[in-house]
Amino acid sequence: MKLLTANRLTDGLTLWYSGSGWVEDAAEATKLSDDDADALLIEWKLRETEVVAPYLIPLTDTGNPVQREHVREFVRANGPTIGQTTDAVAKEHGRTAIFEE
Amino acid sequence: MPATTQAPTPTMYKYDAFDHAFVRDRNKEFAGQVARRLAGEITEDQFKPLRLMNGLYLQLHAYMLRIAVPYGVLSSKQMRKFAHIARTYDRDFGHFTTRQNLQFNWIKLADAPKILEELAEVEMHALQTSGNCIRNTTTDQFAGAARDEVADPRPWAEVIRQWSSNHPEFTFLPRKFKIAITGATKDRAAIRVHDIGLHLKPSGFDVYVGGGMGRTPHVAPVIKRDLNPEQLLSYLEACLRVYNRYGRRDNIYKARIKILVSALGAEEYGRQVEEEWSRLDKAKVDAPAAEVNRIKSFFPDPAFVDGFDSAAFERARTADAGFARWVKNNTNPHKRDNHVSVTISLKPTGLPPGDASSAQMDVMADVADAYGYGELRVSHEQNIILPHVAKNDLYTLYEKLDAAGLGTANAGKITDMIACPGLDYCSLANARSIPLAQDISQRFEDAKLTDQIGDLQIKISGCINACGHHHVGHIGILGVDKQGIEFYQILLGGRADEKAALGQITGKGLSAEAVPAAIERVVRLYLDLRTSETERFIDTLERVGRDAFAEALHEHA
Repeated sequence: MKLLTANRLTDGLTLWYSGSGWVEDAAEATKLSDDDADALLIEWKLRETEVVAPYLIPLTDTGNPVQREHVREFVRANGPTIGQTTDAVAKEHGRTAIFEE
Repeated sequence: MPATTQAPTPTMYKYDAFDHAFVRDRNKEFAGQVARRLAGEITEDQFKPLRLMNGLYLQLHAYMLRIAVPYGVLSSKQMRKFAHIARTYDRDFGHFTTRQNLQFNWIKLADAPKILEELAEVEMHALQTSGNCIRNTTTDQFAGAARDEVADPRPWAEVIRQWSSNHPEFTFLPRKFKIAITGATKDRAAIRVHDIGLHLKPSGFDVYVGGGMGRTPHVAPVIKRDLNPEQLLSYLEACLRVYNRYGRRDNIYKARIKILVSALGAEEYGRQVEEEWSRLDKAKVDAPAAEVNRIKSFFPDPAFVDGFDSAAFERARTADAGFARWVKNNTNPHKRDNHVSVTISLKPTGLPPGDASSAQMDVMADVADAYGYGELRVSHEQNIILPHVAKNDLYTLYEKLDAAGLGTANAGKITDMIACPGLDYCSLANARSIPLAQDISQRFEDAKLTDQIGDLQIKISGCINACGHHHVGHIGILGVDKQGIEFYQILLGGRADEKAALGQITGKGLSAEAVPAAIERVVRLYLDLRTSETERFIDTLERVGRDAFAEALHEHA
């Protein structure tokens, strides 16, 4: 399984593919089959007026990014971990952190 | 103590009609490029180098705009503009960098042209803050003020800025290029770990070439002594021309000038530079004396106020221990006996090093106007400096700074750490830097312990690119990624001053949780080993060697 992520062209914010479109909250990202993910990546790489630098995040069976991607994707999904925004991001979306730290 | 009334008249370079037109034209050009990108008329591959030329990066969470602060000199008006941009276009804070610049981490692409327009209003821009060109020249944060200064490096930094801005031959170098200048006996600009380091002395410039950090760190060798300042630009042009011709473009990791100088040897590189220099039509390159004098005329001393009520100053020091400690740690001797230079620490306990909120930026601008002749500096240690403050104003200044969370008395101490943004923001990083700096600052928040330890520089980088200068920290910390887990290698014995040296990796990598305790063990061992309170950490380390400390680093708590 994989997640599809990118940055929005206009403001650069991190986006996650939800199955029907892009959302800012990583908690709403859809876990995609490898084939679907690969096809969507090709599709969205061409839609450059909407998103920049789309890529796939491979997941383990527990739904966390695979180990070699883990820290980077944890920070990308939850926001900076320095007390300024991580909590604010979680609060904004009414949830706790995504992925296990 | 009564405040001194001063006219806020910063002594700094002011744009002429050419500068204004140049920046305006570049902004207009970039606004057109942004519009075409948003309209889908150019691709991201086409746009990326264009936005980078204007200081706009795409980082982990958003676009980041890096704004040039020429040789770290800022007016209060410019600082207020930063505050306004932070409030209006970002998330209410900015991050001061080791290149004496400012980064905003949450910029919208669509807002970038408007922000650049606003910056142009206060004679600022983001040009050459990225790309393989000559970047912002850095200098001593106490330039023009320090008691140990022999010659003021700022006019020469401005001469270099003008020469290197949009230089057609050096816009696409093999790799980025960084120059630093000092004119003091103490090197506070880390000149020997720059591509070119210039030491201005009465006899001229000593020129060091081929220093740098990153993957392959080098301390720059001297290749010329006593260069006539009037020939600075032609000599720099010869240095750059040899590099541009022979620097490697086939391997990004071997493209910096340090690799070329190391491969050729300093003597051979110097010989090639001399040969190139002899062929140059120097009169066409060197700044005419009249132009140098015009630039120097922008940097007179401010209209210094006279007098010093030492009795009142001593009363304040006796009555307020916090003030006494701040004076001891955060002021630097000034060339005028009744003035000092003040370091405003951006390293409060538990907060990100180098960050300032918009409200704090406004406070710094206000106190610069009231007590600092309207002038501020950014230091490469990621603090803000008021270069000229009358001693009569120090207590009032301290109270105002302290009320704004800017009164931390730790300049040059163990908690005055350099830390790059690390993996919390940077898309190149392998590990986080800021949370580690926060943990270390909390571990050493006891003021008494900090003062007991004395001068000690910790520098943290989140990857091998070394934006956090870990190679030249007395204690350097390098974040690495081992299969998705952050580890930190500890380097001991680096220094960035006039005795520049590279730290050596000591022991095995540590987890983030283990680093603060390991550093505390090293520091406590230093306190045991030092021969006197005046023997600094780096002195003890050099005296007893790293091995003694390696054991402490890995001792179990």
